[in-house]
Amino acid sequence: MDFLSFIIENLQTFWTYTGFANVTTGHMIMVLVGLVFIYLAIRYEFEPMLLIPIGFGILIGNIPFKDAGLQVGIYEEGSVLNILYQGVMQGWYPPLIFLGIGAMTDFSALISNPKLMLIGAAAQFGIFGAYVIALTLGFEPNQAGAIGIIGGADGPTAIFLSSKLAPNLMGAIAIAAYSYMALVPVIQPPLMRLFTTKKERVIRMKPPRAVSQTEKIIFPIIGLLLTCFLVPSGLPLLGMLFFGNLLKESGVTRRLAETARGPLIDTITILLGVTVGASTQATQFLTLDSIKIFALGALSFVIATSAGILFVKFFNLFLKEGNKINPLIGNSGVSAVPDSARISQHIGLEYDPTNYLLMHAMGPNVAGVIGSAVAAGILLGFLS
Amino acid sequence: MMKQKITIGLLLLCCSLVSIQAQRTTSLRINEVLVINETNFVDEYGKNYPWIEIFNTSAGTVNIAGCFLTNDINQPRMYPIPKGDVLTKISPRQHVLFWADEKPWHGNFHLNFTLYPDKPNFIALFDSNGKTLIDSITIPYPQKADVSYGLLIDGWGQDRIDSEIKTNSAYKGGSKAWDYMTQVTPSTNNKILDTNEKIDNFLLNDPGGWGMTLTAMGVVFLGLIVLYLMFKLVGNIALNLSKKRAMKASGLTKEEAEGVTQQSSDIYAVIALAIYEATEMHDEENTILTIKNTARHYTPWSSKIYSLRETPHKK
Repeated sequence: MDFLSFIIENLQTFWTYTGFANVTTGHMIMVLVGLVFIYLAIRYEFEPMLLIPIGFGILIGNIPFKDAGLQVGIYEEGSVLNILYQGVMQGWYPPLIFLGIGAMTDFSALISNPKLMLIGAAAQFGIFGAYVIALTLGFEPNQAGAIGIIGGADGPTAIFLSSKLAPNLMGAIAIAAYSYMALVPVIQPPLMRLFTTKKERVIRMKPPRAVSQTEKIIFPIIGLLLTCFLVPSGLPLLGMLFFGNLLKESGVTRRLAETARGPLIDTITILLGVTVGASTQATQFLTLDSIKIFALGALSFVIATSAGILFVKFFNLFLKEGNKINPLIGNSGVSAVPDSARISQHIGLEYDPTNYLLMHAMGPNVAGVIGSAVAAGILLGFLS
Repeated sequence: MMKQKITIGLLLLCCSLVSIQAQRTTSLRINEVLVINETNFVDEYGKNYPWIEIFNTSAGTVNIAGCFLTNDINQPRMYPIPKGDVLTKISPRQHVLFWADEKPWHGNFHLNFTLYPDKPNFIALFDSNGKTLIDSITIPYPQKADVSYGLLIDGWGQDRIDSEIKTNSAYKGGSKAWDYMTQVTPSTNNKILDTNEKIDNFLLNDPGGWGMTLTAMGVVFLGLIVLYLMFKLVGNIALNLSKKRAMKASGLTKEEAEGVTQQSSDIYAVIALAIYEATEMHDEENTILTIKNTARHYTPWSSKIYSLRETPHKK
């Protein structure tokens, strides 16, 4: 073999290792999806903290390569991406995210008007509506439970539950959950207008009372004890959520709270986003089930939002004039914090520029976080 | 101060001891026993001896080293399970097998007693203190050759079976925990779990998912209603306390104090902002004015000296 043939042969071998030689239509579709995510995040600022890591993760996960044991793919044991993905697979990223959420959430609105918690409970109908429909479409109960949790509008909870109940569907479920959370500003407003009258949209709610520090400290402790005694399977999520909140409210662990809501949650968000994105390898992801999951996810968001709004209207039947709740905060029962609360504020201001609903909407919004974690615990307890 | 420290120390010690105990050996169960082993499972020397299988019912690894196995209730420390052997660590929901061959020199899993084919055999597992009984069973007489006697479902004692019969309508098993096994299963599950009973149960009884929806939504509402009631109560107590404080501090009447405490947080925010801007003081608690000490207390954890590199300089 002369030198030139040797070079040509090497180049030919090298070609077989490149992405160009291994690319499929599936890869290209997924790369396109990743680019759309990145576009939405940058152009419209739809949940950029999530969509940028996930979108870029989709690009990483869909670079085609030759299956030659190079340990580069996320599904190849021992690869760097696979090691980072263990946090998703084993379910320890979501509780750490919840720790950060707890450390950054102010539960004052909920404590000052605790009846708003019930809106957070009503919105969980989205989870079980999707569960019922998923069963009808032929999914197993455990898969249906994992798909239904998309309706909780809570990415970490969706990842946590699907990693336990249906690990093979986790990529699609996570992407659907985060996509619809990012699309909350698109999905919710039409439903809010559809289910409310003009009169209802301008209902003014009593301003929340001031909440003492003692109440804020008691909240995570009692919250943990009550919810976890009722649903111990929700312990990883609820435990970390309330722990993070106690770090924040105790007033003596400022540094820990700052770490939890700052560097820690940022680190975990990066790892979670990029690995969930990378887990959508075309070969694993582009299936009929994924399409069904996306459709069910959209439905679950619609059901959750509608249930929240309609529940407020129903609840108002029993409340005295002056104590009524503006149904525009019903959408906030889904736990997309704080986006759905912001939507309540925007729509409320459209109809009455002096009616600020944000603080009121934050109540059901954080109750939704607790409600979806409790619902996840129930599904885990029943179906694992 | 010293007393406080001692109390806290003792509390922590108690907690750690309790948790260590919980993770340790209490979840071990005697799971299966073969008294007459004629042609069945052989040990590493190729011999047939009676054997005792221990099962770890927990979701954590348990080290059985230091515990005692015995066939005499009056001698709980008959066979101390040796320490320092990695194989004494039993993984979650896994088994270990002990040979009752009276030949402890054959290895750590060979006992210094045997089981008798001509009488009932008492077997007990004691904790490392030699006093706490973890589990015991009396294998009835007579026993058939090469037929083991064991728990029909791994780790499920009579208490668990009774509880399942009472509380779980989907339970399809029998009422006996121990029985003669149809298949001898040394170091493996007595009952092969090839299906998920919970899921099968839902598929059978709730194919449409409405039962799950009703139950789960009921629990979600119950949880949040309980939280609501609790915080309504806590809120009322907090309001009453603020009212009392306001009355005490400024000599207000009950009605006037009512007005003060029902103010919205917006008003407090405005007052707080005004005070802050004027005097750099702020409210932390309703009606209590707090002045924070701004002195920085030194702690090596936050010392910049330890976290900054010295600037390079010429000598």
